[in-house]
Amino acid sequence: MADFKKIEENLKKEAKRLLEAGEVTVVLAYSKGFDEKHPMPYAAKSVADIKNIVFNEYCNHNMARYLVRYPQGTKIAVAVKAADSRAVIQLIQEEKVKRENLVLLGIPVYGMKNSKTGEVIDSKTTSGLCNPVLYDILLGAEVHGQKIVSPYEVLAEYEAMDKDARWEFWKNQLDKCIRCYACRKACPMCYCDPCFIDQSKPRWADKAPQSPGNMMYHLTRFHHLAGRCIDCGECSRACPVDIPLYLFHKKVAKECEEMFGQAAGMKLEDKPVLVDFRVEDSDKILE
Amino acid sequence: MAFEPKILGIACNWCTYTGADLAGTTRLLYPQNLRVVRVMCSSRINPSFIFRAFQLGADGVFVGGCHPGDCHYNTGNLYARRRLAVTKKILEFAGLEPGRFRVEWISASEGNKFAEVVQEFTAQIKNLGPQTKLKIQK
Repeated sequence: MADFKKIEENLKKEAKRLLEAGEVTVVLAYSKGFDEKHPMPYAAKSVADIKNIVFNEYCNHNMARYLVRYPQGTKIAVAVKAADSRAVIQLIQEEKVKRENLVLLGIPVYGMKNSKTGEVIDSKTTSGLCNPVLYDILLGAEVHGQKIVSPYEVLAEYEAMDKDARWEFWKNQLDKCIRCYACRKACPMCYCDPCFIDQSKPRWADKAPQSPGNMMYHLTRFHHLAGRCIDCGECSRACPVDIPLYLFHKKVAKECEEMFGQAAGMKLEDKPVLVDFRVEDSDKILE
Repeated sequence: MAFEPKILGIACNWCTYTGADLAGTTRLLYPQNLRVVRVMCSSRINPSFIFRAFQLGADGVFVGGCHPGDCHYNTGNLYARRRLAVTKKILEFAGLEPGRFRVEWISASEGNKFAEVVQEFTAQIKNLGPQTKLKIQK
């Protein structure tokens, strides 16, 4: 278990230093919600705001989500856990933010908890990484010695299913969807404006929260996140009806990694796989 | 009455569509189940077209493009290859029969291949039966 108090102290200290020196105009971190279990994403804009910053085991939000809300060129410091740092890398690859405008406050952490279920968040629902891939300042000791489990292990059960059973499973799950778009709001990679689902010309999918529209929305969203999903699992934690969206995203990520040999958001110099190609890509991937 | 599938064919203007034209002018027979839509390049195809086609009642979707390296726009089909491979994996994991979606590279001179592929694909879809999973039930 990581030392959350220590991380919070360091976070406040670094935020204070950066804001006082004027190195950044905003620090993206967490603040107290209505109770301890429900912290909120928070943007500290002045030294006076810093006292509101908290960090505990329920601070799951992917703060990379909020980077694209600021105009290009804004100097931002952002608190990043492992998955969040991958999201930042992915956003840099997609040229939505620039590396020189960011100060990454890396948080190596293990033992984050889902505030809904109280379960520890691990490789079952996320990529299971503990240490940020990219950071400027590390706010705690690096986590070592955790058992490394492949994030794709949880898929085996679903891959082994018969296709009709799998269809039934996904239909039942996606039929629950009430189209609140919380998954889209929580996702650091969902920044299209307007989203295809909000367009009326062409109207890609029915807007009513019923089976056909739900299917269209989610299948297309899985496709749009192919090779970009950084497996933070925020979509499924944000979901009010508990659809295991992470499973589908994991599957697509796994296929992309196998076909194109590159995981999303691991290296700054990579290009997202679907806006890239190799002449030597095999036609076998289409079979 | 025997099951006659509806198949959507999306063909690239420069190769597959011209290939289909050649199949027609050389009087090759192929099943009439294919409805061809012409696009300028296989990379013009938004994956949502394919999902939507299945929803609107297509029993199979066939995509035709130039051979890799022969694209009229140099690299369009190389992007399309990656994108459509992902589409296929998504349809498969959602539980749709993988045989209902097919991508083939058919050049402008391959009228024979076009007719063969359409025959083969139509027979395959007839075997699979009507597509009811994604189709919107009225």
